[in-house]
Amino acid sequence: MFHKLLFIMSTVLTVASALVVLLNKNIMHACIALLGSLIGIAGLYLTLGADFVAATQLMVYVGGVVILMLFAVMLTGGQDFVSKTQKLFDLTPNMGNATSYSVGIVSAALFGMIIYGLTESSLSSIPKKDIDPNLIEASTLERLGELLLTDHVLAFEISSVLLLGALVGAAIIARPDRSTSSSANTSEEQ
Amino acid sequence: MSTIDISVYVPVIILMVLAVLIYGIALFASSLIAPKNPTELKDTPYECGEEPTGTAWSQFNVRFYVVGLIFIIFDVESVLMFPVASVFKKMHELGHGWYVFVVFVSFISVLLEGIAYCWKKGDLDWVKSYVTENKSA
Amino acid sequence: MNSTIVSYFSTLPFYNHIIGFFNSLFGENGQMVFAFTVYFIAAFIVVNILSAVGGLGTYAERKISADLQARIGPNRVGPYGILQFLADGVKMILKEDIIPRGADKFLFYFAPMLALLGVFATLAVLPFSSGLALTNLNIGVFYLLAVSSLVGIAVFLGGYAANSKWSLLGGMRGASQIISYEIPVTISILAIAVLSGGISFDKLIGAQGGFPHEWFVFHNPFTFVGFFVFFTGALAETNRAPFDLPEAESELVSGYNTEYTGMRFGFFALAEYVEIFVVCGVAAALFLGGYRVPFDLGGDTLIGQFLQIGSFVTKTLLLYYVVIWVRWTLPRLRVDQLMMICWKYLTPIAIFNLVGCAFWLVKFDGRSMFNLIMN
Repeated sequence: MFHKLLFIMSTVLTVASALVVLLNKNIMHACIALLGSLIGIAGLYLTLGADFVAATQLMVYVGGVVILMLFAVMLTGGQDFVSKTQKLFDLTPNMGNATSYSVGIVSAALFGMIIYGLTESSLSSIPKKDIDPNLIEASTLERLGELLLTDHVLAFEISSVLLLGALVGAAIIARPDRSTSSSANTSEEQ
Repeated sequence: MSTIDISVYVPVIILMVLAVLIYGIALFASSLIAPKNPTELKDTPYECGEEPTGTAWSQFNVRFYVVGLIFIIFDVESVLMFPVASVFKKMHELGHGWYVFVVFVSFISVLLEGIAYCWKKGDLDWVKSYVTENKSA
Repeated sequence: MNSTIVSYFSTLPFYNHIIGFFNSLFGENGQMVFAFTVYFIAAFIVVNILSAVGGLGTYAERKISADLQARIGPNRVGPYGILQFLADGVKMILKEDIIPRGADKFLFYFAPMLALLGVFATLAVLPFSSGLALTNLNIGVFYLLAVSSLVGIAVFLGGYAANSKWSLLGGMRGASQIISYEIPVTISILAIAVLSGGISFDKLIGAQGGFPHEWFVFHNPFTFVGFFVFFTGALAETNRAPFDLPEAESELVSGYNTEYTGMRFGFFALAEYVEIFVVCGVAAALFLGGYRVPFDLGGDTLIGQFLQIGSFVTKTLLLYYVVIWVRWTLPRLRVDQLMMICWKYLTPIAIFNLVGCAFWLVKFDGRSMFNLIMN
């Protein structure tokens, strides 16, 4: 019963918040609606029995990415009143052009493929007896830890290098304009 | 069926619902008994007694964003370390202690490299970037 | 160890009668409805008691600060002014609810609720005794870190929504400070997780003993330093002095809650004081042995459970006292000092501690310092 209840709550929260993100013109409200959507996805992970992934979703997306987005919004304070109240300009919708239609077709094809894949995989899911019974005994966390240390130890190590790359990249991109800052730095040293 | 019993999460949902309920009820009760006579002056945002100039929603310094970016990377690294840390003792008891230690430490050393890089390049400095921006502005 | 409060009930003799009664009312779902009811009542009681503790926290804060400054402090309402927090609560309900002009109304209402939600959700895993934790998740302390990150967003939104310059500065500072100090706190917890072999609270407490030398704080030199790193980071995460930059009175008026009045201000304050209790409780559970004391309290009986709760709450309130003491003793940091302490001192020290704890586990079989000296 709780399983169903949680699933319904999470789905409604995810879909409704996602719609608000799409339809809202106030960028701050859209950010907060995205927060609701991400929490809903954490609930969906939980219904699938992936408790660690659900908490990770909260920790990384809610605690990190949404705050980063809010900071990013605060970077874009404009000059005139329209952008200061953070409403988008009232754009007139047009009937689309060749680019938008072709992008639409590609997205529709991708979406169809995903739907097809999902229905196929649910029809031919792995039978229960193939799963190692020893693994089911432990909690998801311990299973993850054991797999990260045995079968996927290379992926674990490489992920740290990947994150190092991301960190360096983020630091370089977020630095103020390199030419001006380097000249300012040298003048400061003199 | 899932392999874990998710009914242990019932209190989490109940507590969240309770928080919303308590907040709603208290605000409702307050709206019933509290006075409500707004005036022009009362509704003015506080700006040390002066007339507020313009809106407060202005452009913010990029260094907040940099802190956020660095945080996310470290957050993901610590999340990845949690499963490994929680089986560390078990693996040690099975006799793989030094192997796990080497794996763990090499992961952490890459993390330390990241800190060292940001430290060296001054991304962890609050004041230095402030000086740079003032001069470039 | 029982995993939830309902499984504790299931050991009682009259459990089957109750389930039978609920089954006759709700058919198949009787057991589930019973579990819901028990959880709801337990959660309601815990939330109310913790709110009272939070309220008493404001009283304690004023009384202790008065003592430290050789004043008298609140002494009018009730004996020694102890009912002051109730009077404050009544006053807050009666106060006018002012929304500043040009504010973002929706977010202005939403922010205190988010803070309350994030803090109340952490109560689910707080281990009061061996029987009374609302639930025992096997990702316990990780879950706690995850939901408490909602508070950072709430602080930012509270500052943003008011459309006041002071609020916004406080909110930005608050959010960046909370996320920054989450790193050393998380890594300190990881060091404890390595030693105890799990991150659920029953494993974390089960790995410790009753005597102080069996607690993780005195387990080895690394955890001893780790305790202070954790505590400093926790102070910063709850926006307490000397890290109270988000509400620095002398520069930002009152920071992110400058424009908040009445009940919504009260909820921000409540969330803050309950959060301090929670982080002190986590510190007590991780480093000070939780509800354990050197002699057996008899966790099988109801009285034993209450004694365990008493021991846990005593440890927590001692830390709470230290938090208040620190606030009225140390001056506030500057923003650049705040960031420097986090990224250049606490984070490298925390990582060093993590490696040290891992080394200790492998080299000395995870035995405590005291144990090694005695042999």
